[in-house]
Order: sequence, then structure tokens, then C-alpha cells
Amino acid sequence: MTTTASAWARGPRITRRAQARLGVLMVAPAAVLVVLFFVFPMLNAVYFSVVAFDGLTPNPPFVGLDNFARLFADPAVANGLGHNLLWVLIGTVSPIVLGFVLALLSWSVGRVGVLYRIAFFLPHLIPGVAIAIVWGWIYDPLSGWLNQLLRTVGLESLATGWLGDPRVALFAVLATAIWAHYGFVYVIFLAALRNVDVELLDAARIDGANAGQRAWFIVLPQILPVFLMVTTITLVGGFSVFDIVFVMTGGGPAGATDVLGTLAYTNAFELANVGYGTAIALSITVLSIPFVIVLNRVQRRMLEGQS
Amino acid sequence: MSAVVTPVAQLTGDGTGTRSPAPRRRSRLGALRHVVLVPLALASLFPILLIVSTALRPARSVTVDPFGFFDAVSVENIATAWTTGRFGEYVGNSFALTVPATLLVLLVSVLAGYAFARLPFPGRGALFGMIVIGLLVPFFTYMIPLYFQLKGMGLLDTYLGAVLLLATGVLPFGVFFMRAFFTDLPSELEQSARVDGCSEWQIFWRVMLPLVLPGVGTLAVFAALQTWNNFLIPLLFLPGGSFRPLTTGLYLFVGGRTIDVGPLAAGTLITILPIVVLFIVLQRQVVSGFLSGAVKG
Repeated sequence: MTTTASAWARGPRITRRAQARLGVLMVAPAAVLVVLFFVFPMLNAVYFSVVAFDGLTPNPPFVGLDNFARLFADPAVANGLGHNLLWVLIGTVSPIVLGFVLALLSWSVGRVGVLYRIAFFLPHLIPGVAIAIVWGWIYDPLSGWLNQLLRTVGLESLATGWLGDPRVALFAVLATAIWAHYGFVYVIFLAALRNVDVELLDAARIDGANAGQRAWFIVLPQILPVFLMVTTITLVGGFSVFDIVFVMTGGGPAGATDVLGTLAYTNAFELANVGYGTAIALSITVLSIPFVIVLNRVQRRMLEGQS
Repeated sequence: MSAVVTPVAQLTGDGTGTRSPAPRRRSRLGALRHVVLVPLALASLFPILLIVSTALRPARSVTVDPFGFFDAVSVENIATAWTTGRFGEYVGNSFALTVPATLLVLLVSVLAGYAFARLPFPGRGALFGMIVIGLLVPFFTYMIPLYFQLKGMGLLDTYLGAVLLLATGVLPFGVFFMRAFFTDLPSELEQSARVDGCSEWQIFWRVMLPLVLPGVGTLAVFAALQTWNNFLIPLLFLPGGSFRPLTTGLYLFVGGRTIDVGPLAAGTLITILPIVVLFIVLQRQVVSGFLSGAVKG
């Protein structure tokens, strides 16, 4: 370290220059990795979506927006998009309701709260493949626990091959996804509840508000920004769902669980329609953007209102 | 972008919630809550317990009676999975991918996070935006072109390529997360170090970095979990089978032959055990990592 005097002598402009130089150097590794493995493939994705690329032929022919036009006429895409919308709806509402109710219930349980957090959050940490395997056992038509449970309680008529029956397969996969991820919503709400004004709650109780009224009128408005954030995450997740469907059913039986993500994968890697598959994948991202923007706007307004 | 992120700051602390300021309720209602919570907690844990139970049952009883639950204990399945199922090899590969990728995330994120927080340079905002936009774009949007790009670069099916990709996958979060930590440090610290004659690098290395080590720890846990669980990167970009980690090993084990439930359960247990142990030991770090990563979903 040099003396105090020399530091003063250097003056702020030299400091600024030294900061800028060091800053660029320190950011460089991250920038290189992101440009190479994110920005570049994203630009390539745009290029792929306007050519008819089969994955092998170099210099594929330019087809303009044909891949996107084809999307609108493709019944498989309509089918997949319908499943995505269902996923967005059910996959957003159920984890939020479950997570919120559970967070309220376990809000002030003291030490055992740790145990509840382990139980509810652990599924969120398990890799999708492991989730698919164990739920495959639960849903198995013959040796599955779910059918066994139904037989035990006398609802044998409802027993089916959950992942093989086109009428229920999508809901079976969706239920698994909800099991896997509501714990994430739960810990977010639990953290948000710590900022709730307790005095208001006490006042409401004295005024005779019941638990439901207190949750709806006192707690909910105070954590609304967090509520919107969670909604944004689950909505976008509903559009971009891929892993869990891919490992559980691969989109089958006969497209019954296909979503846009699995269609993109199948087209690109199994049907050699790389251009078309990429166009589907890009469309998913584009579809979810308006939701993100609208929800962010509302959320920002609320945060401003609060402060 | 920043608006999605803002409420995360509201989730102060580690979000553990055990020291909630919530009022103590009447005990009657308190007991009633557990009546609802306990069955749901057990239902939530059941699939995980089913993995453990099936893995630990003797191979024959798994086939004969699929509905036994912790009725007998044997390491038979684990031994089969470890050797015949090659899960011993996959464990090694999972570590060989996770450890360097996590270290790379830490190194690169700490450096960039500090620069984005405290060292002004031209184009800083735009560059930060370019990096963190990755939090909002699902991986499969660009995984198809990435496959062909890696093929062209000679990085497809290489250890180096897989580690770099795994690290880049967590990088947007890492940079965003470390920047938040460095931004929160008081600027008086920086100024007095400068007055004492520290160079800009010394300010970072000796003064600021030691103060964010808890954050680095949280990021390490989060990055390790994400990398360990990553499925698509090894599936698509390590197709040859060398360096195959547990997740893809498990997937191919299912697809391979008539499924042997016992060893499959054992393989699943081997895959999730490090995660379960890590979570139970380091709960706070795990949960707070995910809370700050809420943007990622």
C-alpha cells in the first residue's frame, strides 16, 4: 500500500479511469461465456427459423416466414398450444392457492416450521428424471399406488393407466408438476409473510374478522406484489414447460400430452425439421413476453403505491 | 426485468420464516392447523420415501409385492445399480461436472458482479441487461442451434464443452445475485480504502470480497444443485456416453430394457441422496438461493 499523500495526489479522474479499466477486465469472462453460449445461439435461432434446415445440408434455403406460417396451419401446434394454455391456467392457480394457504397455516407454528419447510420444499429440488420415475410407479395401471389406493377405498371404477390413457395423461403429468413445484411458491409466500404488519392483523381480530377475512382483506393486499411476481413465474413456466413432459411421456400417448416445447424438440431432433422446430421454440418465448410485461407494469405500480 | 426482480428484495433475510413475527394464536386453532398440515406434508414426502423404501427392499420382494413399504432392508439393489447399472461411474461423472462448473460460476459471477455494482464503465447497463436476460429465456429456445454450434466448434461431446455450458446456464443468476450483494455494501468502505492507498483491485480483493463471502456460499450451493440436476445439457451435448452424469444415466436406464424396478429405485436414490442431505444440512442457504433466484422460476 502506498501512502495517503499519493492517493490524494492521484485525483478522481485517474481513479475513474482505473475503475473503468478494471471493470471491463472483470466483466470480460462473463461476457465472453454469455455471448458464446447464449447470445450467439439466440441469433442463430432467429436464422434457423427462417430457413428450411434439416440438420445436415449446409447452406439451407431461405424460406422467409414460411416456418411461422406453417405454425398456424399445423393441428399438432394447435393441440400443443391448447395444452400449454391449460397448463398455464391450472399450473398457475393450483400452486398459488396451495402455497398461499399452506404458508398461512404454517406461518406461526414455531420450531416445527422447519419440518414443514423440508416436507413441502424438498420435491422442488429433485431432478425431473427422478420425479418421472417415482410418479411412473404411482401411476402404473397394475402395480401403481394410485390405483391400489382407489381399489382400497372402493373407487375401483376410476382406476386407469394414468399416463397411458389419453383422456387423463395430461392431468396426471400436470398433477406431478404441481406436486414438484408448489413448495417453491410456498417458501416465497412464507418469506413475504414476514413483512406483513402484525398490528393490523391484531386490530382486525379484535374487530371480529375471521381467519378467512383476515387472510383476504389484511394479508393478501400487503403481499400483492409478491403474489404478482409468483404469478409471472408460474405463467411463463406454463408456456415454457418441457422437461417434466419430456421425461414422463415424451408428449404421448398420441400427442395427448404434447406441449409446444416437446413439439419443438420432436421436430428438430426426431423429424429433422430443425428450422420449423426452432420457429416453434421461438414462438413460445414470444408468447410469454406480453404476460411478463403486463404483470411487471402492474407490479411496479403497486410497489410505487406502497412506498 | 428489474421490475420482476424488485420484490425479491422485499423477501428480506433467508426466508426461513421460523422467527416469524406473526401473532401466537389460540391453541385450539393451532392444533387444528397441524391436522391439515401433517397429512399434506406426508403426502408431499411420500414419493421420496417411496424411492428410499423401494431402493432398500430386497430385489425379489420388489417384483413379488410392489406395495411393500419399508418392510425389509437389503443393499442388494444398491449394489446392482452401483456396478451393473454403472451408477458408481455416473456419480463420479456428476461430481466431475458439478465441481468445476460451480467453481467457474463462482469465479466469473463474483468478478462480474463486483464490476456491475461498483466499477462504472461505458456500456455497463447494456452489458448487464444482455447477461441477465438469460434469466427469462427458457433453455430450449436456443438449445437446438446451440447443438449445431457446438458441433461446428468441436465442443460437442466434450468434457470442456459440457462444463462451460453448465456454468453459463447458472451465470445470469450468479451475476445478478452477486451484483446485489456488492451493491448493498456501504461506499464509505470503498472510499476509506482508497484514501489508505489501496488500488482498485485491492479494494475488491481485500476489502469488499471478504464481506460477501456468505453470499458466495449461497451461490455455491445454488449453482451446485442446478448443475447436479441439469438434464438437457448432458443429454444433448454429451451424446457419446462418456462423462454421463446421474440424471441422463437414470433416463437411459429407464429407456434401455425391461425395467428392473429395484435397481432403478436404487439409481434414483443415489441421484437424489446428495441433494436431500445438502438440503437438510444447509437449508437456509438452499432456500435463500432459490428465493433470490425467483426470477428464474
